[in-house]
Amino acid sequence: MAHDRVHLNVGGKHFVTSRTTLANAGRGSMLAAVIDENWQLVPDIASNELFIDRNPAYFTVLLDLLRTGELHIPPGMLEKPLYREAEYYGILDHVKAARKGPLNGNRLDCVASISGRATGDGTAIRASPDGGCCVAHGSMVHVYDWLMEEKTPLTLDYVNVNDVGFLSPNRVVICTGERENGAGGMASFNTKTGKIEHKFQVVHDGESKNFTAAALASNDIHVYASCRGRSYEYGVGTWDQITGRQVTFLYEGPGRPLGDACKMQWLPRTNLLLVANLFPSSDHCFITLLDSRTKGKVWSWTDVALRGTADEKIVMDTVAMEECSTVCVVNQFDNLGFIDMRTNNQGVRWSHRYQPSKISEAEERCYSKLACSGSQLFSSKNDSVYVFCSPDWDASKGVQTARLRRKEGGAISDISVGGDRLFVLHNEEDVFDVWETPGPSQIVDIY
Amino acid sequence: MNPAKKKNFKIEPFKHKVEMDPKYAEKTWKILEDAIHEIYNHNASGLSFEELYRNAYNMVLHKYGEKLYSGVVQTMTQHLREIAKIIEGAQGGLFLEELDVKWREHNKSLQMIRDILMYMDRTFVNNFNKTPVHELGLNLWRDHIVRSPQIRDRLLNTLLDLVRRERTGEVINRGLMRNITKMLVELGTNVYQEDFERPFLDAASDFYRLESQQLIETSDCPDYLRKAEKRLNEEIERVAHYLDSKSEPKITQVVEREVIGNRMRLLVEMENSGLISMLIDDKYDDLGRMYNLFRRISTGLQTMRELMTAHLRETGRQLVMDPERLKDPVEFVQRLLDEKDKYDRIIQQSFHNDKMFQNALNSSFEYFINLNIRSPEFISLFVDDKLRKGLKGASEEDVELVLDKVMMLFRYLQEKDVFEKYYKQHLAKRLLSGRTVSDDAERSLIVKLKTECGYQFTSKLEGMFTDMKTSRDTMQGFNATGAGAEGNEGPTLTVQVLTTGSWPTQSGARCNMPTEILAMCDKFKMYYLSTHTGRRLTWQTNMGTADLKATFGDGNKHELNVSTYQMCILCLFNQADRLSYREIEQATDIPAPDLKRSLQSLACVKGKNVLRKEPMSKDISEDDTFVFNDKFSSKFYKVKISTVVAQKESEPEKQETRQKVEEDRKPQIEAAIVRIMKSRRLLDHNNIISEVTKQLQARFMPNPAVIKKRIESLIEREFLERDRMDRKLYRYLA
Repeated sequence: MAHDRVHLNVGGKHFVTSRTTLANAGRGSMLAAVIDENWQLVPDIASNELFIDRNPAYFTVLLDLLRTGELHIPPGMLEKPLYREAEYYGILDHVKAARKGPLNGNRLDCVASISGRATGDGTAIRASPDGGCCVAHGSMVHVYDWLMEEKTPLTLDYVNVNDVGFLSPNRVVICTGERENGAGGMASFNTKTGKIEHKFQVVHDGESKNFTAAALASNDIHVYASCRGRSYEYGVGTWDQITGRQVTFLYEGPGRPLGDACKMQWLPRTNLLLVANLFPSSDHCFITLLDSRTKGKVWSWTDVALRGTADEKIVMDTVAMEECSTVCVVNQFDNLGFIDMRTNNQGVRWSHRYQPSKISEAEERCYSKLACSGSQLFSSKNDSVYVFCSPDWDASKGVQTARLRRKEGGAISDISVGGDRLFVLHNEEDVFDVWETPGPSQIVDIY
Repeated sequence: MNPAKKKNFKIEPFKHKVEMDPKYAEKTWKILEDAIHEIYNHNASGLSFEELYRNAYNMVLHKYGEKLYSGVVQTMTQHLREIAKIIEGAQGGLFLEELDVKWREHNKSLQMIRDILMYMDRTFVNNFNKTPVHELGLNLWRDHIVRSPQIRDRLLNTLLDLVRRERTGEVINRGLMRNITKMLVELGTNVYQEDFERPFLDAASDFYRLESQQLIETSDCPDYLRKAEKRLNEEIERVAHYLDSKSEPKITQVVEREVIGNRMRLLVEMENSGLISMLIDDKYDDLGRMYNLFRRISTGLQTMRELMTAHLRETGRQLVMDPERLKDPVEFVQRLLDEKDKYDRIIQQSFHNDKMFQNALNSSFEYFINLNIRSPEFISLFVDDKLRKGLKGASEEDVELVLDKVMMLFRYLQEKDVFEKYYKQHLAKRLLSGRTVSDDAERSLIVKLKTECGYQFTSKLEGMFTDMKTSRDTMQGFNATGAGAEGNEGPTLTVQVLTTGSWPTQSGARCNMPTEILAMCDKFKMYYLSTHTGRRLTWQTNMGTADLKATFGDGNKHELNVSTYQMCILCLFNQADRLSYREIEQATDIPAPDLKRSLQSLACVKGKNVLRKEPMSKDISEDDTFVFNDKFSSKFYKVKISTVVAQKESEPEKQETRQKVEEDRKPQIEAAIVRIMKSRRLLDHNNIISEVTKQLQARFMPNPAVIKKRIESLIEREFLERDRMDRKLYRYLA
């Protein structure tokens, strides 16, 4: 197949490959376009080759990636220029796919520990869908792309950040407390420019109101946030992501506290919205699942009836594991509890894995945080993240299958899962860790 | 090297910050702009993709993304304006072709431009929420070509005109149409819908409104439907050939609405060719077509069903109320069956066995069969006829078929207990006269009735069969004792012992039997009571038959098959040749109506008149005298003298049966009331009525007035009482 053969001259180095190999790059890539018949390739008559003015060393690695689907970075080669070259050829997605595999809690490597330059402690970390993340520090949000390069920090006029989340790799939404002058509330930012895109308004009786946005969640179309205003504007607001307009506002009612919710989660399979009021922002714990269309309560759980008992368990964090139809909670003693979300009025099945331990008053306590990926549950405790797996969360309380720990950093204040990565934010030093599962190509079978 | 030669210091100025050539961006953009021009001018062979890509890359990298992007928009717009002018200039039919050619060229150019700007698409466009190049190209094409004022209307009119021409039978370039509509779809579903589909549907609507108006005035219904079907298929085909597949339901809906929906009433009610005449003439194809077309309209089938039901009820009503038809019950039922078969076939062949139509058919039959209160009797008579002679020689399957059909009619009956009454009478006659064709067929029908109405309904009928069988055994036993056949001289007696209650009760049958017979009867009585103590035997003389050997004038010997009454009468003539009516009445003690009937058949039937009546007349009067007819002759040795029995019941008999049925219903209604009250304890009047009706409707439709009477009777007998507070409430007294 002589006509399948392609002669390339990259930066003076001669390469011979096949059209088939270059076609692996996909139609949207430069390498596929370079051999497209639209461009009636007239190779240099003398050398019979196509010239590309790029560094051949990187091209060697990338061509091999197209040939084998595996990424081998020779010792001494820097990763970032390689990624830049991949971006030039339009095959960055291939590189990313080869670099890391789907998140698996039992096969995680710590690929980076990033030290920030912020003065205060980080309060929250959120993963972006493409593997980047952002960290909230007081009234600032630091954004990192998937290469862990820091973008323009987002400053918020000295209002404290309550929650932050990504709408897309390029857009974040930030929830803050309200300010007298109408500042605060909620806004979306372009991470590339660091500029504000939309300010989300709560409209009551045709008037925009000052409000505090506490927690947020989003799907492909809408942004949801729990809001409390000055008078009536307590509830969950829904905004259109593209126009930034308020779509609906679901006012809270008796037995349905929403405005104080400090954790929200969008459940894409069932189109439900989890809204959780937790200690300390409210005395009792209320966990509610709302139908996104009817805005009706589909499921709820509360500990109102359980308070005052001898071993009082206060729910500190919750996460819905949609795949397993289970809502997972964690209490102040780091005990995990599980609630079936298919039937109402369920009790919590507590696991007594951890015993309440004496913690010295001086030491700043970090309560356990939860995150999940599919049917894997991540729970932080002190300076470690524990991974729990179960084939059937309905019946069992899960088995602890891995412990992730780094020497530095101290206690963990927040964790987040997204873009096939686990982000772990430490409390004592301004540092966060990035954990990911190595790509399939890096597993070498040795017999 | 000579060290002395060097070391002459050169002082260089401070290095300033490296400034990029300020013209860099302009220069690079110029290269790219030229390339875009070349691409649009089909002159791209001299271009180097790698170089152009690298230039675009560099521009984005050096933050000239905005300049690059706006430049591309501007350049593309410029070219599209020129292209628009060329397309506008195209004459007549070439317009669409020019548009198609330019569209394909634009697509190719756009593809190449996008290739060059791929890096910008990935980074700049993405980060600043711009429209990607390909989409941008389509949008510009939409705004500057398809929606340009000079092209928009012309394009739409050309397309609509082509469709109109094709509808009127011309051949058009479907490939070209297809390309153009595909272009509209690619520009976005809303472009296709707004710029073409909606006007297209409106035009179709106008076209078909007009056409169907003309058509309905000039064609009959089947013809119209055929054309409607053809039009519908054409539109579906049109969509397949050159429209977006999503248009199919929309355009068919237009055709359905204009051609069928709006003309539905007119069509089905069309004189001499509408639904009714199709039904009458069994036009399976036309009916099928109508069904398939009307099915597309939400109310279409309902309209058809309503008309069919009305027609069925009317013809059915005429059928069952026609006094002519009432003369022959067998013919009457046969007509019903034929009617049912006819519609079953129509529903099966034309209406895809539509359940709704079957229900309409059933409810219509139920309606009109019950209009005639004699229907139960007639159906029983029909069965009687079939089982006595009609089915002689028929195969087992044929028998089953007839019985199944009868059962179907039976199901429509509301007064099933009336049917049971008649059926019992007719069955008794069949069994006692031994004239049933097939025992299997009889039993098969009983089984069918049983599955339909339950064990209770048939228990008495089955009892009758049992009696017949036991009687046979008893007779065998009796004959074995030797008492039965006393030599060959005396008469032979065959007795059927019937259980009271199982058989139709006979009121006070009495007659004086001839002495020789009486002796035999007593012997049998003794024999029977010796084996079954504690029973009472009553002779049902009105139901028996006798074979008499008689010798007439010329030594003519005949065997006469007569009823028991007639036997008694004839035996009197062994002693005398002439007897008056009163003498006969005295001697036999037969009830007057039966006597008259028996005499009538002995004396007045031509060819079977073994007696002569004086004076000669048709009717029997009490002053008549009867003479033995010496001259009686017949071709046959055996002569059957049947009593003149009205097959159909006469008016007073009918009344009597009716009364008996009503009488029988009373305990059933009472039983139902008590059953209901026992479980409910307290119930108001209306609820009792409805529950009783529900319980009993499998057998008959109880009359609310009758139920009320029964309730009152139960109150009198202290089964129930009225509530003291609410007189409408009844309470059960245990």
